[in-house]
Amino acid sequence: MKNIAALIYRDTLIRLTSLMWLFFDMAVPLLYLLMFGVGFNKAVGFGIHTFGSSIPYNDFFLAGVLSMSCFGSAINQAYGFFVDRDNGIFYEFLTYPMTRGELLLGKMLFQCMMALAQTTLTLTAAYFILDIPINIALLPVTIIVVMVGIAAWFFALSTIAFRIRRNDTFNTVINVAYFVLMFVSSMFYPLDAVPVWLKYISYINPLTWHTDVLRFTTIGVGEIGIIGIEAAGFVIFLGISFWFARQALKKVA
Amino acid sequence: MQHAISIHNLVKEFPRKSEPPMRAVDDISFDVRTGQVFGLLGPNGVGKSTIIKILTTLIPPTSGTVLVNGFEVVRQSLDVRKNICVVLQENAVEVFLTVRHNFLTFGKFHGMTTSEIEKKLGRIVELFGLEEILNQKPIDLSGGMKRRVQVAKMFLVDKPIVFLDEATTGMDTFNKRATVNAIKEEAQRGRTIVLTTHMLEEAEELCNEIVIINHGKIIAKGTTDEVKKLGLQLFYLSLKFNELKKDLEEMMYKFSPIKMDIINNDVSLTVRELNTAIQILSMAQSSGALKHFEISTASLEDVFVELLDGKKRGAA
Repeated sequence: MKNIAALIYRDTLIRLTSLMWLFFDMAVPLLYLLMFGVGFNKAVGFGIHTFGSSIPYNDFFLAGVLSMSCFGSAINQAYGFFVDRDNGIFYEFLTYPMTRGELLLGKMLFQCMMALAQTTLTLTAAYFILDIPINIALLPVTIIVVMVGIAAWFFALSTIAFRIRRNDTFNTVINVAYFVLMFVSSMFYPLDAVPVWLKYISYINPLTWHTDVLRFTTIGVGEIGIIGIEAAGFVIFLGISFWFARQALKKVA
Repeated sequence: MQHAISIHNLVKEFPRKSEPPMRAVDDISFDVRTGQVFGLLGPNGVGKSTIIKILTTLIPPTSGTVLVNGFEVVRQSLDVRKNICVVLQENAVEVFLTVRHNFLTFGKFHGMTTSEIEKKLGRIVELFGLEEILNQKPIDLSGGMKRRVQVAKMFLVDKPIVFLDEATTGMDTFNKRATVNAIKEEAQRGRTIVLTTHMLEEAEELCNEIVIINHGKIIAKGTTDEVKKLGLQLFYLSLKFNELKKDLEEMMYKFSPIKMDIINNDVSLTVRELNTAIQILSMAQSSGALKHFEISTASLEDVFVELLDGKKRGAA
């Protein structure tokens, strides 16, 4: 536990050295929601039809913003391994008295703390500025789903970071993956409105599972049966990602 | 006798695509006694850092047994890491944190509280001469100073075994001297220090025992004196002349010295036999131009060069 606390202490100190970095970390999802969401909301003023009802685009897009920020935060934290590797400190970490699992968990928990602040800010603005009818009763569940999302993506992306030596290659791989995962998911549009082939592909995308669960916990849209399966699938994805990240970290030196 | 480190029949191979694996460490065995300063010597790229990486649990051995403070490096890797601290060959500092915060984070990773760190920090800062840079970020420091911070961190924590992989690389003479003195002081406190270096003067000054490695194999081991006496009988001769004549220089070359350097009228050479040294000396004396001479056993560096050359000659 001391090691995890030390990792969180270290990452907090580093984050505090750049207030601009901290600001963008906190504000990007909110800005996305306010700028992209509001613009799109105006453009599709008639709302989004999904699960037999029509809802404003902002309401629909909130879950997409939350899952996007989880993915983005996870990219930042996984990319941090390249920064640490460039500074040499990464290999020194591996000689510290902690397990490889603790190293991953510490990094993940720090990012979860950041996500907690980020999510609170986004949900507050969504509720008070954009009048999105957030399900307050399910707020703790939403927070947990955000954290699980951060963890799963962080472990998955860390596996890639450990296996790739060059940060430019990592950036390219992540950019392509991000692009594909985002648009082949329910992040921007409901899947009942897309071609059947795209719908099926989207349903094997963990980003869809995560977004759908968040949409259900924030605004109550979705079928509980499907949401349950998606939630279970995402938890399995988390477990598999952690296992792969741990194995990759063991081989990294 | 308690051993801080025991290595038996250690082999490390790295797989290569469509080629047989590359054997970086080839059936090496040695022990390091507790409280010693132990040197792993050899030219660059002969397997020293690979051995350090195995000892510090960064990579597993291909075969063999490696114990660090009684713990096996693969099965008990966490216990090994609880007993060591490591300066790796690569620079490793938190460049965006101040030097003080570097110490704070390092200490916390090793289970120290902030007050424990602060209590010890004063002595370490004084020992390594870091007072003036304590509130600076390493990103603004020279490579040598970064390295000094990296080495200094190791002495903040009381781990029984310290690994220093080319610790003084990149340091200027002043930094190097301060670091060597600090290592000496820490060694006197009873810690086992394992260092790798290709700087033989440093090894000669610091180490109780050494092994010399070449192509992944041990080519010599023992105390520095034992290694110097490895039956090689190397002698160092320093001659200063009023005027060094060309014919005398050529005659000295005919004795096939292991090393011969001429700067102006001063000659320093290393030879294999005492008789050879005496013959050269008497020849120099008879030239009438000799104004000063010194004769001594050769340095570790001369022995090292001879050992490596001897292996090459053997291989040829």
